[in-house]
Amino acid sequence: MSTCVHCDEAATYPYFQTEDVAKLRPFCCVGCMTVFQVLHSKGLSAYYDIKNNRPSFKRRSPVENKKQEYTFLDGQDFQKEYVQHYAEGRRSMDFYLEGIHCLACLWLIEKLPEFVEGVVNSKLDLERSCATITVSENGLFSKAAIELNELGYRPHPMRDRAESSAMALEEERSSLKRIGIAGAAAGNIMIYAIAIYAGAPAEVAVFFNALTVAFAVPVLTFSAWPFYQSAYTSLRNRRLSIDFPISVALILGGVMGILNLRHGQHENYFDSLCALVFLLLLSRYFLRKIQENGLRPGDMSFLHQSETVVKKNSSGEFTEAHIRSLVAGDIVRISPDEFFPADGIILEGSSRVNLSLLTGESSPVKLETGDAIYSGTQNLDGDIIVRTTLCGSESRLGSILRQVETGWASRSRISDFSANAGTFFTIAVTLLSLILFFLRYPTDGFEGALIQAITLLIVTCPCALALSVPLTFHRSLSLAAKNGIIIKNEVALEKLNSAENIFFDKTGTLTVGHPQVENFECLRSDGATVEDAVYSLELKSRHPVAVALKEFLRPRHVRLLEVSAREEIPGHGIKGMIDGNMYEINRDGVFRNCSLVATFHVRDLPRPESTKVLRELMNNHYKVSVLSGDCQENVDRLATDLRLGPSFTTRALLRPEEKVSAIPRNHSVMIGDGANDSLAMQQASVGIAVSGSMEVSLRAADIYLVQPGIEGVAQVMTLAKETMKVIHRNLVLSVLYNITSVGLVFSGHIHPLVAAIIMPVSSLTVLLSSFWGTKQLRTLWKS
Amino acid sequence: MEILIILLPLALALGGLFVWAFWWAVGKGQYDDLETPGQRILLEDNQRTVQHKKD
Repeated sequence: MSTCVHCDEAATYPYFQTEDVAKLRPFCCVGCMTVFQVLHSKGLSAYYDIKNNRPSFKRRSPVENKKQEYTFLDGQDFQKEYVQHYAEGRRSMDFYLEGIHCLACLWLIEKLPEFVEGVVNSKLDLERSCATITVSENGLFSKAAIELNELGYRPHPMRDRAESSAMALEEERSSLKRIGIAGAAAGNIMIYAIAIYAGAPAEVAVFFNALTVAFAVPVLTFSAWPFYQSAYTSLRNRRLSIDFPISVALILGGVMGILNLRHGQHENYFDSLCALVFLLLLSRYFLRKIQENGLRPGDMSFLHQSETVVKKNSSGEFTEAHIRSLVAGDIVRISPDEFFPADGIILEGSSRVNLSLLTGESSPVKLETGDAIYSGTQNLDGDIIVRTTLCGSESRLGSILRQVETGWASRSRISDFSANAGTFFTIAVTLLSLILFFLRYPTDGFEGALIQAITLLIVTCPCALALSVPLTFHRSLSLAAKNGIIIKNEVALEKLNSAENIFFDKTGTLTVGHPQVENFECLRSDGATVEDAVYSLELKSRHPVAVALKEFLRPRHVRLLEVSAREEIPGHGIKGMIDGNMYEINRDGVFRNCSLVATFHVRDLPRPESTKVLRELMNNHYKVSVLSGDCQENVDRLATDLRLGPSFTTRALLRPEEKVSAIPRNHSVMIGDGANDSLAMQQASVGIAVSGSMEVSLRAADIYLVQPGIEGVAQVMTLAKETMKVIHRNLVLSVLYNITSVGLVFSGHIHPLVAAIIMPVSSLTVLLSSFWGTKQLRTLWKS
Repeated sequence: MEILIILLPLALALGGLFVWAFWWAVGKGQYDDLETPGQRILLEDNQRTVQHKKD
């Protein structure tokens, strides 16, 4: 099988560039071929040399070409929000680019100033797929955008240096600084601490001790600040988080060290404490990084829905505008395949509309002039003109989005596990310290007893656990991300582990989401000719049945035949002359000269892997049910198709609110794709959005599957189970270590040197345990 | 042990220098994008110019 020259996808039924037969190259689609030609005509063929010699680090998909003018980019109002100004009238705008995947992309994008007039600088951030384009005083952003679009990187303007992103950058930098300071101090302290442990002469030891205090102060104040902050917030919310015992240990350790220095004793725990602050910060930083990576817009399909609308301007012409500029009363034109940007009323034209993402209904609905349309539904086959009535957050979709956002904010994102573990540790350790204090008070006096109690608090600080939890999650999250499962929050894994009920949406989740052909049956011997005729006849039609037929026939190596007198009869079918025969396709089948030659059925079929995944889940003792907004008949049919037996329950005709009430708040998982599932996803303890979901579902979901299909669901359930196994094992190890150290303190054997050995050893054990994983995790890692 | 009088300040100064350098680099945004600059350097010099098409 050949692969596409441009995108490296398998080109099963390749298109060939036919101009020059000697240089025949396979392409997977017209989009990729167009880009190839554009690159050649601009003298940028070196793109392919670079691409083929360097590994790409992101999977890319074929280019979808769609002509756009991007004139709105040059509008004054638009630029006010999106543009940054520099000296000499230079301006820059940030674009998110679809399809960035390798070094050659970098090369190409940064070449932009050389072949686009007016562009003075172009800089790409590969990780974020974000390009900063700078134009000269007279340069136009639209020109650059058109060029980028032509090259196959569909650009999406991003609001430049929005306050939030500047803040995020500042936070990122300051956390790096905290880590750096902690690391440097921990390393330096180690040198002096070892000298002290090794028995440095008293006068040197005092000096070294003072030095360790000097190093520790910035670590315990500046670097450890996030721990204090989070301990304080959780206390204010009347909770004990794992950061609380850590903060207590750090503060008491610091105070004790300084007191000891004043008394001329050189005993302190600064070496252990600084190393721990460093490791804790580092592990949390990694965990946050992997979460941020998953949430990058590049992995979110909602951006792939265009942000451009064609709007009638004041002079009565239709021009492109950004979706944000839309207000109620605007007249917009919606082409086939586009999503409606706002609620409105059809002024002109009629079309079939796909409502499945908003209502769950699987069959397209025919809408005429005067009918109401809703944002978030998709226009399928006709050009229509719409007067908008409700835009943005006022539209029906917008109001669901608002509900999702308020719900999301109020929803607890705190890990039950680390909160519980924190509470457990804190209470146990405080009690033990009090007991120790009162035990020793009669013999060692107030100060002696106090120092021993503090020592206990420090050495039992649950650092090992606090370290291993984020690292274990980090590993699982990056493993999931590699397999196309984006997990927004590690708490989702914990909740998945305790899930009992799994609810699926039907349309678009268990089924493909658009009509497909089943049982295409030729009644005559010349089947191939009939197939060719059907394909040729439907070639230009956008009717959902036509689209399904073409998708079905294309892999069968159909030939294109000459069609004359082609006529599409709305609501009935299509007919035309081919090779002197009159062909007609309608709901009853394919007719040649009025006699039936082929029959076919079209409906929304279940995904090929649905049965397998559901059966696997049911074998693992989950209760699996379907909640659908579609009619009873279609839902029953799905149940029959899946052949899962009576324990598989289904419910049909559910409105979004009814889906919510069908889902218990705890131990439940909801998997869906549309706006009608989003509230249910939020209600469930974990929401999973499948590939191709709407923006609103993505916001409501905790987990997002990038790869089409639902196979990720079974994978992520296993991953959650195994991850929690590792974390529980670490908890046991951590408790064992703490019991040992409590024993040592009570028997009076503890000494900073013992702590300096025991604390890193315990951390190392849990770290190794995290990396060792479980047998199943290791197989997952390898694959 | 007298050697400590020289070695200690030296060690501290070196350490301080590195911390300062790190602080400066983070503040300057050197760590904002860890992926692209590393890739960019792989581009060959001769690929850095476009072979302009003759109009």
